[in-house]
Amino acid sequence: MQARAAFLNVRSMIEVQVVLAWPAEQMIQSLSLPESATVADALAAANIAKDSTAGEAASFKVGIFGRLVELDQPLNDGDRVELYRPLIADPKSSRRRRVAIERRRR
Amino acid sequence: MLKLATVPSVSSMRDKPSQPPSRSQLLDKAPDNASVQHANSLAARIDALLPQTQCARCGYPGCRPYAEALANGSADINQCPPGGEATIEALAALLGVATKPLNPANGVEAAIFSVALIAEQDCIGCFKCVLACPVDAIVGAPKLMHTVIAAQCSSCDLCLPVCPVDCITMIPRSNALPEPSVMAPRWRSLFDAQQQRRARDEAALESARRQQRVDALKTRASDINIQASIERARARRSIKPAS
Repeated sequence: MQARAAFLNVRSMIEVQVVLAWPAEQMIQSLSLPESATVADALAAANIAKDSTAGEAASFKVGIFGRLVELDQPLNDGDRVELYRPLIADPKSSRRRRVAIERRRR
Repeated sequence: MLKLATVPSVSSMRDKPSQPPSRSQLLDKAPDNASVQHANSLAARIDALLPQTQCARCGYPGCRPYAEALANGSADINQCPPGGEATIEALAALLGVATKPLNPANGVEAAIFSVALIAEQDCIGCFKCVLACPVDAIVGAPKLMHTVIAAQCSSCDLCLPVCPVDCITMIPRSNALPEPSVMAPRWRSLFDAQQQRRARDEAALESARRQQRVDALKTRASDINIQASIERARARRSIKPAS
């Protein structure tokens, strides 16, 4: 049944990308999925999320072009499904430090 | 099929003008369309000569807008620093004009030799560089780590000034990456895709706002109905004791 459905969907496939990036290496995988595919389907189809070097990827937040999305969100053609790593810096202490530097300068 | 092509159809016979189109008709329509089309194709040919960094150093918000300005004569051929002398020569040849040195107002000649790199210990996830990137080369969401896709970076430098913590630097472009000339069509399609996506998002936002206003009006209308029924009930009650 599924194979048949996939066959019938041949004409309505969408092209999406799944991205997981580090400063030194960026993993981008292009996928061709059925029109009804969701974010979860893209992640399941991508090797990136399963890769051993990305073992922690399951805990990463997911978005499309910078906007966080739910896993059941349907995909559109051309979407880029992105896995986001957490920040290293604490924005608040970073801001305090910047303000301190700014004050010293005055 | 062949028969249909040789025998004039009823409609084409009916539409056939009794006289040839007047001179004013010709001047009004045909040349206008033709000139627009010509400008479009010229802009496309000019765009094909530009490096597609989408860096806006020319003073236009991308290579295609600069190409369009060149096609309609409102820009000069010496405004593209990443293209430099080679691009000026190519543009001069295409447009049949003399070459000239790069306009210093647009910057100094700078070949595409670098890519952006984000210092992770400083990135606060402000999202500004992601929005500034014209070719979607930065992956990131607010309050989460931002990362440059080196292969996609067009070396435009637009992410540098917007970073509030100055955590982005330009590093030499790796030899393993495709040549900038090879990347140019990709940068063009990335820029186009981003423009289309943002226009779509803007349209969706606008229609959501419109729906909100419609909903607000409806609520107000039903408020009025509620008010009216309260008034009616009150009126009935005040009549009752009297009867």
